[in-house]
Amino acid sequence: MKPTLFIEDLTKVYDSGSEDLAVRAVAGISFQVNKGESVAIIGPSGCGKSSLLNILGCLDRPTSGTYKLEDRDVKELDDDDLAALRNKHIGFVFQSFNLLPRMTAVENVELPLLYGSVKNSKQLALTALERVGLGARARHLPNEMSGGQRQRVAIARALVTNPSMLLCDEPTGALDSKTGKDILELLLSLNADGTTLVMVTHDLGVARSLGRAIQMRDGKIVADGAAQSVVASAMESEAHAS
Amino acid sequence: MMILEVAKSAWRSLASNRLRTLLTMLGMIIGTGAVVAVLGIGEGARSSVETRIRSLGANLLTIRPQSAAGSGGVRSGAVKTLTRDDALALAKLPGVKAVAPENSGSAQLRYMEKNKNASVVGVTGAYVEAKSLTMGSGVAINDLDDEQRSRIVVVGANVAKELYGSASPLGTRLQINGIAFRVVGVLAEKGSGMGSPDDGVYVPLATHQNVLFGQDYLSTISLQAASEGESASVKASAERLLRLRHKLRDDQDDDFEVRSQTEMLETMNQVTGTFTALLGSVAAVSLIVGGIGIMNIMLVSVRERTREIGVRMAVGARRSDILLQFLFESVVVSLAGGALGVALGYGAARVLASFGQWSTVVPMYAMVLALGVSALIGIAFGVGPARSAAKLDPVEALRFE
Repeated sequence: MKPTLFIEDLTKVYDSGSEDLAVRAVAGISFQVNKGESVAIIGPSGCGKSSLLNILGCLDRPTSGTYKLEDRDVKELDDDDLAALRNKHIGFVFQSFNLLPRMTAVENVELPLLYGSVKNSKQLALTALERVGLGARARHLPNEMSGGQRQRVAIARALVTNPSMLLCDEPTGALDSKTGKDILELLLSLNADGTTLVMVTHDLGVARSLGRAIQMRDGKIVADGAAQSVVASAMESEAHAS
Repeated sequence: MMILEVAKSAWRSLASNRLRTLLTMLGMIIGTGAVVAVLGIGEGARSSVETRIRSLGANLLTIRPQSAAGSGGVRSGAVKTLTRDDALALAKLPGVKAVAPENSGSAQLRYMEKNKNASVVGVTGAYVEAKSLTMGSGVAINDLDDEQRSRIVVVGANVAKELYGSASPLGTRLQINGIAFRVVGVLAEKGSGMGSPDDGVYVPLATHQNVLFGQDYLSTISLQAASEGESASVKASAERLLRLRHKLRDDQDDDFEVRSQTEMLETMNQVTGTFTALLGSVAAVSLIVGGIGIMNIMLVSVRERTREIGVRMAVGARRSDILLQFLFESVVVSLAGGALGVALGYGAARVLASFGQWSTVVPMYAMVLALGVSALIGIAFGVGPARSAAKLDPVEALRFE
């Protein structure tokens, strides 16, 4: 079976004018993610997590190397193709929710379907909202909802197109611990139903509850394996460093 | 993305900032309003002039003196090349039905205690018919009156109203430059406007030349061709005859000018057209200012909504979707402003019409044009900001605070 994500020798270099100032944010990494996995990408700030996330989300292009999403090489795609890929195969969940403030919950969830010209969008959006437990809040505006509810709307929006993966960027970072736990549980239950989960986080507690963890440092992968053991060794080295 | 959704989203964003949207529209409202009002007034002036000229009939030729040096218009009053003998000779040309020589001057009218300055026109018996005038009461001036240099006068409707009020002027003695004239007729009201016959008084031509002004030349000869088809040939033969009579050499320019009603119409249309274009282009400048206002607010809007653009891109909006969304917003603003402006301009033209002397017709084409131009301005001034929105880097846009 083909992997959902196929990354090989990927680099991202930010060119700030001259050769000397070029920053290698991602310095040649390779890994694969199969359908149904839940993967945490961990590491200290500046380790290249965010750059990798942008590439995985097809928001940015790699400098070199191969990135295949559902067997499609992004190198060969133009801007419109990338937009279509994001629309159909990637569901973003952001730390700061990123809901459009003037649209109701159901309209926010409907948005990807409209860009994908999917029929029956309103019904599908309502179903997605029910799936995250917010069916009753469909007509509310984001500023009429709590942080946890907003993140649920964002997750419904990410889910609604049945993407190949949910790409989460610190999904619990802006929430209190109780609400964060609820959101994590929601994401895990979606993963249990078969949705592939890729999550960038520096919260090792969150990372540990996923199936697999990839630890990065200075743009490279330093550990890749079962979340429990990778997180345990990461914690150890952190304790060691301090 | 369906156009309906784009429209909905544009509406939502404009409605969420009502005051700003309205102020942005104001430029377009004023611009289109001014253009529509000006075009309406111009068209009104044009159509009233046209009606007046047309009412004289298509087979009427007008001969005016013109200084040989060139441009007639301004100095034509002082040129003394046309005479009664010219008129008599013209009357013998084939195809000529009637010749009405006239001379006009300005004089002081006085009746009882009332004074009025008015144009006094010396006419012959052919005048009333040639100018398509009708008598309100009394009789017109005939050729016998002219021969006898009678001191009689026919007054225009406005003059009668001003000097006599509701009383009948017939039989009264009206003083023109201190000389008493008997009023024999009143013209029926013709309608208002510059140089309307309502504002003049009419005396026999010979009286005018010998008694009142002491001039032996004419200001105008009106020539009526027997039919419309003959007016071109009559015009040519009249020109030949006058050149001959005035002893002009081949290398000399005409010292007169023969114009048909069609030519008059064209000239008048040119004049009103120039005025309308001039005023219209001044008004159009405010449209451009309105467009700049839209562009300004769209740039602000793109900046404010950078994050929204990033989110839309993340969930699958193509660059063209973003472009369309912002372009749609600017077109909606400019079109709505344009529509309100058309309504305003129409209203203004109507109000001016009721105050002013002219009739005001806002032509359909002006409204369609104003709306079309509004839409174009929305596109022209919206495309820059919309492109800058579409060109945003999604990563940067999502990170924007």
